[in-house]
Amino acid sequence: MSEQQAPGKPAEVELEPGQFGQFLAEHGIPSRRLSDSSGVETIELEGKHLEQAVKRLRNSPETKLDFLVAVSGVEAADTFDSVYHLWSYSNQSELVIKVRVPKSDVPAGHLPMVPSIAPFWKAADWHERETYDLVGIRYVGHPYLRRILNPWDWEGHPLRRDYRQPVDALNDKSPGSFR
Amino acid sequence: MSTELLKTSGLKTDEMIINMGPQHPATHGVLRLLLTLDGEFVKHCEPVIGHLHRAQEWQGQNRTWFQYQALIDRVDYLSGMFTSWALAKAAERIDGLKLPLRAEYMRVIVAEMNRISSHLLWLGTYLIDLGAMFGFPFYPFREREKLLDLFEAIAGQRMMFNYIRIGGVQREAPPGWFAKLKQFTQEFPDRVDEYEAIVTKNPIFLKRTKGVGILGKELAMEYGVTGPSLRAAGVNFDLRKFKPYSVYDQLDFEVPLGEGEGDTWDRYMCRVKEMRQSNEIIKQCLAKIPGGTSEELRERRRQCNSCGKDDCPNCGGDLRIMVKKQNAGLRIKAGEGFDAVESPRGILGCYIVSTGGDTAYRFKWRNPSFSNLSVLPALLVGHPIADIMAIFGSLDVILPDVDR
Repeated sequence: MSEQQAPGKPAEVELEPGQFGQFLAEHGIPSRRLSDSSGVETIELEGKHLEQAVKRLRNSPETKLDFLVAVSGVEAADTFDSVYHLWSYSNQSELVIKVRVPKSDVPAGHLPMVPSIAPFWKAADWHERETYDLVGIRYVGHPYLRRILNPWDWEGHPLRRDYRQPVDALNDKSPGSFR
Repeated sequence: MSTELLKTSGLKTDEMIINMGPQHPATHGVLRLLLTLDGEFVKHCEPVIGHLHRAQEWQGQNRTWFQYQALIDRVDYLSGMFTSWALAKAAERIDGLKLPLRAEYMRVIVAEMNRISSHLLWLGTYLIDLGAMFGFPFYPFREREKLLDLFEAIAGQRMMFNYIRIGGVQREAPPGWFAKLKQFTQEFPDRVDEYEAIVTKNPIFLKRTKGVGILGKELAMEYGVTGPSLRAAGVNFDLRKFKPYSVYDQLDFEVPLGEGEGDTWDRYMCRVKEMRQSNEIIKQCLAKIPGGTSEELRERRRQCNSCGKDDCPNCGGDLRIMVKKQNAGLRIKAGEGFDAVESPRGILGCYIVSTGGDTAYRFKWRNPSFSNLSVLPALLVGHPIADIMAIFGSLDVILPDVDR
């Protein structure tokens, strides 16, 4: 296994807004189009616009993106990305939303903060908990944000690039250790 | 009866908090339910998961693509073909690989066989969950055994197949495999009739399942529930029809929907009908697969002495099972993508961020059981404790798939 380079910054080329970018712009929500994720429209939103945008996309009859497939967290080169995959139960459209928190904005010892969509969309509940557990993104406003896959007293967030296991489980010879 | 007495007699009852699991025999793995009970009835339920967490995503990020393919069958041990397929599909989408037609047909055949075997195991164990200890569970296992034998013949393994690979499938079927599968598809509908004769109109079964654990349309869509549990609520959402992938658009099959309001019995009926449809799909694939059975293909290849050239009508093009032989140096182009397949439990997706290295940068699995289990607390409230397993079992949750 090798240490990999993180995916870098996206190119600074301004892309034309796609179908959903235009829809959001019509309703006064600014977004930025990123390069497509395998042919699916990808937009970047600021955290403060997330709730409004997701509610609009979910409930408007033109878009009807009412199926939240997954919420994932990615630690990129200099940002923490919270990635939302939206599908629809009634039409074929797909959309990827990214909320990026620059690492320079996160004080030492704190977690990056992204507003939660779980209060109005139950499907996000467990996915946000999982992302908090594994990648360490704090979803502000989540009703019950605690670890879901790891034990409640686990230290660190295992999918971070700087994560090291607390105890070297294979070479631990200490008789006092519970492993 | 006793609760009726309590309600009318003005007696005060206290709430009780109990643990169900983690080692409960009916939880299909290791699930702990933290229940708040009012007498016999559930007032609040919190599933505590993660007992089977094996850090599948972390392992994927620290292993080469080739190594990781062997590992992901373990995510959902009852439908390993689908986890392999989701990974292969997402990687192929990023890489822009186009598969030969024979490989696509082979994938559909083994996947539908896997769907049948998964539903059969569900049927047997679900009846045990409901207390049917009279030996019925052995009937579905009889048919499942035949499928597992076929899997063993083609992939070398009975459950952890590692058969679907990035760029195609692992190997050609051995001689006689197609004939055996054909024989299975011919006798299978009669076997399903047998199960239905025992179960479907059984008065005890009806009492345990009719009107129990109603998962309505709105509730299911709110929680992102997919698969037969969603279709039993009447939502026509099957990825095989909705966004046809592979060769599903060339096949003729129906998506069974629930007729009622989405109770436990509807979910049972949906799965039974799905088994019949999967059987039909396999039949059609066997008739349509380019190159025919492996014996026919071998006979054709004898004519050109297995030259292996791209433009050979007997070796190249659609008659291959792999785009290019994969080896340990397999790499996927830089990029990111999400792709999903319709597994027996719902939409199984894989989100990959690749930087073009020998390992992936980030994996995220979207497991159907994970989302389907999150609806359980909403379903259980107000039901007696005896119904918990009837409802939980009907969601067909596999705990390793939840915890990965």
